[in-house]
Amino acid sequence: MRPAKKNNGKSALPMSVDQLKNKVESLVINSQDLNYTTYQQNEKQIAVFYIPFLIDHTKLEESLLNPLLSMESDWSTDTILSGIPLASGKTTTKLEDTVNGLNKGEVFLYLEQDKQLITYKLSKSEKRALERAETEAIVIGPQLAFTESMQSNLNVISWRLNTPDLAREKIMVGERNPKEARIIYLKSVANETDVNTMRQRLNDLKVDMIEDIHMLKQYILDNSTSVFPQYVATELVDRATYAVKEGKIIVLVEGSPLAMVAPSTFFSFFESTEDRYFHWNLSSFILSLRFLAAFVTLMLTPMYVAATTFHYELIPSQLLMSIGQSRAAVPFPPILEVIIIELVIELLREAGARLPTKVGQTIGIVGGVVVGTAAVQAGITSNILIILVTLSALASFSTPNYVMGNTLRFVRFPLIIFASMYGIIGIMFGICLLVIHLVRLESLGRPYLTPLYPLRLADFNKVFFRLPEQKQGRRFLSYRLKDKHTYGKNKATVKKDNEK
Amino acid sequence: MKVNLDIPKNKQFQSFYLFAILVSVTTGVEMIGTPRIIFLEAGHDAWISVIISYLLIVLLLFIMLYILKQYENADILGIHADLFGNFIAKLVGTLYFFHFSTELFAALLIYIEIIKVFIFPDSNNFILGLMLISLIIYTVLGGLRVVIGVCFIFMICSYWLVFLLIDPLRQMELINFLPIMDRSITDVAINGVLATSYTFTGFEVLFFIYPFIQNKERVKKPLFLGISWVAFVVLLTTIISIGFLNPAQLERRIWVVLTLFKIQTSPIVERLDYVVVAEWMMITIPRAVILMWCIIYILKRIYNIPKKISLYTTLGIVMALIPFIRQYYDIQTIIEISKYFDMGIVYIYPLILLPIVIIKQKIKKKRGGKQHAES
Repeated sequence: MRPAKKNNGKSALPMSVDQLKNKVESLVINSQDLNYTTYQQNEKQIAVFYIPFLIDHTKLEESLLNPLLSMESDWSTDTILSGIPLASGKTTTKLEDTVNGLNKGEVFLYLEQDKQLITYKLSKSEKRALERAETEAIVIGPQLAFTESMQSNLNVISWRLNTPDLAREKIMVGERNPKEARIIYLKSVANETDVNTMRQRLNDLKVDMIEDIHMLKQYILDNSTSVFPQYVATELVDRATYAVKEGKIIVLVEGSPLAMVAPSTFFSFFESTEDRYFHWNLSSFILSLRFLAAFVTLMLTPMYVAATTFHYELIPSQLLMSIGQSRAAVPFPPILEVIIIELVIELLREAGARLPTKVGQTIGIVGGVVVGTAAVQAGITSNILIILVTLSALASFSTPNYVMGNTLRFVRFPLIIFASMYGIIGIMFGICLLVIHLVRLESLGRPYLTPLYPLRLADFNKVFFRLPEQKQGRRFLSYRLKDKHTYGKNKATVKKDNEK
Repeated sequence: MKVNLDIPKNKQFQSFYLFAILVSVTTGVEMIGTPRIIFLEAGHDAWISVIISYLLIVLLLFIMLYILKQYENADILGIHADLFGNFIAKLVGTLYFFHFSTELFAALLIYIEIIKVFIFPDSNNFILGLMLISLIIYTVLGGLRVVIGVCFIFMICSYWLVFLLIDPLRQMELINFLPIMDRSITDVAINGVLATSYTFTGFEVLFFIYPFIQNKERVKKPLFLGISWVAFVVLLTTIISIGFLNPAQLERRIWVVLTLFKIQTSPIVERLDYVVVAEWMMITIPRAVILMWCIIYILKRIYNIPKKISLYTTLGIVMALIPFIRQYYDIQTIIEISKYFDMGIVYIYPLILLPIVIIKQKIKKKRGGKQHAES
């Protein structure tokens, strides 16, 4: 059927304006949206048609219709193309193109009995303005966040990384509704293999459409059964551009306000952009605090369950006294007590995240103060447990990456269950399983635990601590980048104005 | 059977990781009981036995390395195929298979026994075994990269235990070591060394893992450092055990090293030995994982059995046997039976192999030279 239609369209083109109207209306599914107007000059008719809500009307009137109707010479394709002050004028002979073009916000002009259509792209896309980052809140440093529009995202990236070296490869992803995806990297720095892998994964993708970068992330994961996020997704522009500068690859998708950074390591989920803006010793302290927090959030409640269920001997006698006193009134076994309180915390978090900000705060107070105190007074839980659960929840929120924080809190539940079954041995089993899982994981074909395994001590200063900025001159060596240094070893010499 | 192996580059590993492999495979669960076993043979001169056996093992390692270096990229099975033909190679491979299997079995059993003695007296062998074996399966399915990674990371995660020995070290009674060289030479230099060297078994995996090393010219350093580190730890625990406990106590305590951890407390954790027993899983698993990898490798190489089949069958048999052995006495019997076989295959066999390899290489060279001259 399709070829026949094509032939019809092609052969039919020199036609009258009314014929064209019928033809176009039969091609477009939503013909009620079509705005089809005809104008006349010296008995020559011209048809102008478009879909009104996709068009920038001021542009249409000022730059297209006004010059067209006030044109002094006779209308012809050449005079129109040269006479109208718009850059994007094109001609087409196929009627099928009109369907696509109309949907993309193009305006079509047709001179009666002409062989071709003239099109101008006057699209207008509604988008929000640039705003400051909401989910990755930071205190110091640039706070600019990406938006849903690819145009403005590309604009912002090029503004921050203004170098001819920047590659912005365009790949259309999606079968039914192709969306523009961009692979952005520095040509002279990024690892060629990684770029090829990413390009190939995007090209091989056969899906209807990509709603968001998180969907794309899940389609191209190395291990789709793992709970651990394998690519960092960030809304901060400076974090994305820093990753590019360091030789990583970022991927943007039209309609998503996030950039995906690949390859990522387990430890890069604990980094924040602020680490680079703080003084190195301060940020080393904060970094180690975050790793400690991750450990605490995993271990605290499972250890409570293990100690109170099996190993009373583990707890020093002074502490055992207070735990015993607070648990004396509790009728449940420790595992049930812990699961209840952990679930309450999860519910509070979920409710707080879903509700509007003002109500969310109230819920936090109601949940934290009222439920907590009441639960202890009613004898459902011990107050020591409330402290522990709150602490571990707090620790999980200190992870800069929201997805990783959720993952850590999720991983805690199997650990609690193992602890209730086999005490400290069960916890150890869970930890071993976790470590083996992390060793097995990969991100874009690179080991997830880089630089710990495969070991590369020179990269530790990017991951576990930071050095003074003049000693951070090497890029992440584990990824075998083309250019290994961001700058030479020379320190800026300290100069003083001589008083002479 | 092919003598020299072509290993694809993505399956090779850097010689640096040989350190982790050697340390993981030689430190197993037995280490908890080693000081007592040496003490029973060599008395308070046990530390001399440790030093002697360390020197012997270093020598042996370099002999093994020498044998391997005669070939381009061969493992022990390939060398046998070259020397004696395929049948003998298969026979030796099968012997190694039994050796590794019993080692693996004993390692798991002893750890389960320790858990039962220290933490859960009436727990089920089967469930504990299932836990350990599931960890082994999950690791080995990931291939050599994951096996080495697990060894390396668990090694890092578990070596804080050494620092816990500082406290008993400071409380040692030096008088316990006097007089030096009190026991007879046979006790110290033969019985003591024999008792020590059983702890060190495991370094024979070098024979199998050697073809996978990427930069073979730098093998010596990690090998030497690895075995030295293990020997240092064994020496340290032996010295502290002798110095800290009196002889009568030392003879009665089967898991001596855990006693050393037992005396310390911290404000948060009262009984550190519980934590140590749990932490010892991170020492048991890497050893078991490397042994398992070797078993799979041998079966694949000599009988061409697929990886997964040999993995599941071997571990299935181990799993089926674990619930039957309940008493510590039974474990001891198994160890006693397999001990001489293990010692033979680990310590004596390379010494027999060495002259044969040298002669064979000389003949080859002569022949090659002759052909060269004729042509």
